[in-house]
Amino acid sequence: MTFQAPAALLWFLPFGGAILVLYLLKMRRRDLKVPATFLWPDRVEEIRANTLFQKLKPNWLLFLQLLALMAILLAIAKPQTQQKGLVGEVTVFVIDTSASMSATDVKPSRFFEAKRLTQEAIRSAKPSDRVAIIEAGPTPRVVSPLSSDPARQLASLETVQPTDAEGQVGEALRLASALVGGIDGARIVLMSDGDFEKVSNFSKGKAALVYRCIGEMDDNLSVSALGTAETTSGRQLFCGIKNHGSHANAGTLSLFADGKVIDSVKSPMIAPNGQWGRTIQAPAGARVFEAKLDAPDFLKSDNYAVAITDPNAALRVLLISKGNLFLERALALDPRVTLDKATEVPATELGSGGASQYDVVVFDGIPEQLVKSRGVLTFGAVGMSSPVTAKGSAAKPKFVSAEKKALLESVNLQPVFIDRQTIVAPKPNGEVLALTSVGPLVVTAQEPGKRQIFVSFEPMNSDFPLQIGFPIFVANALDFLAGGASSALLSVKTGQPFSLPTTSGGRLTMPNGETRTLKSTGATLVVRDTMMVGNYRLDVDGKSKKIYATLRSDRASNIRPEKGLDLGGGQVKASASPLRFADFWRPIALLCLMVLGAEWWLFARKS
Amino acid sequence: MLLEPREFRLLDGLRINPRKSFGGKVRGERLTTKKGISIEFADYREYSEGDDLRHLDWNVLARLDAPVMRTYRDEEDLAVHLLVDGSASMAFGEPSKYVAAQKLACALGYIALNGGDGVIPRNLGKREAKFPTLRGRANYPRLSAWVTQPREIETAAEGLASSLRAFTASSARTGVVVLLSDGLDPEIPLALRGLGGRGHEVLFLQILSQPEMDPELEGDLRLIDVESNRTTEITANSYALKEYRRRLAEHNKAIADSILRIGGRYALVQSDVTVEKVLQSVWKREGWVR
Repeated sequence: MTFQAPAALLWFLPFGGAILVLYLLKMRRRDLKVPATFLWPDRVEEIRANTLFQKLKPNWLLFLQLLALMAILLAIAKPQTQQKGLVGEVTVFVIDTSASMSATDVKPSRFFEAKRLTQEAIRSAKPSDRVAIIEAGPTPRVVSPLSSDPARQLASLETVQPTDAEGQVGEALRLASALVGGIDGARIVLMSDGDFEKVSNFSKGKAALVYRCIGEMDDNLSVSALGTAETTSGRQLFCGIKNHGSHANAGTLSLFADGKVIDSVKSPMIAPNGQWGRTIQAPAGARVFEAKLDAPDFLKSDNYAVAITDPNAALRVLLISKGNLFLERALALDPRVTLDKATEVPATELGSGGASQYDVVVFDGIPEQLVKSRGVLTFGAVGMSSPVTAKGSAAKPKFVSAEKKALLESVNLQPVFIDRQTIVAPKPNGEVLALTSVGPLVVTAQEPGKRQIFVSFEPMNSDFPLQIGFPIFVANALDFLAGGASSALLSVKTGQPFSLPTTSGGRLTMPNGETRTLKSTGATLVVRDTMMVGNYRLDVDGKSKKIYATLRSDRASNIRPEKGLDLGGGQVKASASPLRFADFWRPIALLCLMVLGAEWWLFARKS
Repeated sequence: MLLEPREFRLLDGLRINPRKSFGGKVRGERLTTKKGISIEFADYREYSEGDDLRHLDWNVLARLDAPVMRTYRDEEDLAVHLLVDGSASMAFGEPSKYVAAQKLACALGYIALNGGDGVIPRNLGKREAKFPTLRGRANYPRLSAWVTQPREIETAAEGLASSLRAFTASSARTGVVVLLSDGLDPEIPLALRGLGGRGHEVLFLQILSQPEMDPELEGDLRLIDVESNRTTEITANSYALKEYRRRLAEHNKAIADSILRIGGRYALVQSDVTVEKVLQSVWKREGWVR
């Protein structure tokens, strides 16, 4: 038994001494003459005193009071007993559900081992122990709040499922710290293999952090690259395999084009951390290329990759802005978008004609320049290449009308407050889609291989970014600039949520054939369910999209169990069976109450 | 006079009824085991020379031709020692135990005087000059005067047991010893046995006040023994009171056992009891008087 506050025991000396001194005091008794004293018991009960001094006599009250004092001080000293077990008095289990936890080096898998250990710990918890469960998946969530209800905790634990996505363990730990960081003696138990991004800005507070490392081996091959490139000899398909394990390994790589096998080859032995690549001629006209690796490794979810060559399936967007979080977020919401940001257009992108790195360039309050990209979206500032000419500016214009065009579908500009608008006049190729009291609000222009949208105010000079129509407008704009229609093919990263502009809901068919009905939030349908690697089908507004979810994460493919973690600035070592310090003050407090009760009873009896 | 006219009437005609017979000094109204010449026949015995021929049974002589003397039980007076405890402890009670003892002493003394017994009053406590034996009803005023004479009982120096031992050791005539006392002396049972051993028949009327029988004390007290001036510190809690009652009962039982062993009589009365009540419930019922 140890004490959290052993100094409290020292108080026994002054307090015990004070009690003893009280018992050295003598009672001044009232004199009373009686016929005979021999009939009276020769026993004096020293329960009161009002004068000095007398010899200390044995007294049950003194003994009980000293015992009660000792019990009180023992309780204040917070005695603890050491026990082995994951569960403490207050425990939060953070269960890593990331892709690496699906490794099968521990049977049936690391994730199910973590789940089994958590179940055992919950079953072994004392009735007074409070336990919470947090799922450390792509979106951390509290599966079960702090409670002393094991049945509910076990039921909640059953809802936790493994994913093929990268987990946000840092976020989950911060969530756990927010839950129990302020509780003395609380414990955060991380059930993980340690294969996640380094966690910073994490403080465990008063809680103790226990890391239960799950996993034994690291043999894993992954499809690290898959893509096409236009070369002089035609379109080439490249596929790379990487060995993340500590032993040389080999596998059989199969490549598919639109679902048909176009190549199957056994790789040579790949050294640890080594890569091997395979390049073949891509069949003409094929849009979807898949790579499947059959290897004797422990993680299967990274043995699959997809590359889509549909021009609208992926959009590279360059945002020229001094900083606009709303616009960045709206662009990033689109699953097709790969976003780059800059404050000015790179010289390589300026001009007309020639190949561009970007499909779309967005000018946010920065005068539009002539760029090579096939699409340009400009907010506020007119440039030479804009489809409008500037005429000045006006404050607080009033919305007048808008055309029913695809660009403005589900976008209501009428309630948008615009603080300042650039007064523009459309050029001959410009088509005015929306109008305010001071002139054109949205103007589009189309030329072969080039599409432009001009919006005559800056988003930050209005409340448009706060309206639900803003991300829809951005998504519609990207559709317009990409060629007029969104692709029916999508390639997403597992676990990464994406959204589609729609006011109606959708239906998602999972790789295992299960279907889920999705409801739109406002005018956006957010899809968060692509947690497993595979092919999904999303039915929205009568159209069907095929979604390929792949892992493609170097971090997740590295399944080497980490025995030590750097969390919150401190090194945490893996512990198989951490010691539990169980508070022992309650029985002592109960004993104290009993002693005080006995002391009270004795005092009442004596007086 | 202590006793009221009504009480005198109740006591008239009663006599002390001892279990034993005692030899008297003067001819009295009480039968004795000594064969005498009274008219009360006792037995026959053989004639011996010098016997008074008046008591020869002529009828037996005529029939059996043997001289047989008739013997008679003599009638002598009974010595009634009236011992009144005058120790300091008798001052307690309301009325005090001493007052009760005085009254009861007068009552018993009156009965004895009426019965022709010799009453020898004696104060147990402060030593006093020996009082002469009183005989006859006419001496009741003297008895009453002796009983009621002022005594400083508070300052009594001698304890009850030692006073009783002193009486036992004295040359007092064997007879009935009426002891009126609270008996609050731990050595009293032993002293009573000594008294019985001397041949006296002891009639012990223990008088205790109500607060002594059922004390209602509380708080932290220093008890001072009025006789020995010894002190005892107590906390008057339920335990102490219970223990007191237990010890008192034990003490009284020891007294009763001692009296029983010496063939005496014992009764416990409260100090506020009336003579009539004692007469009815003790003296008459238990045969102290007849």
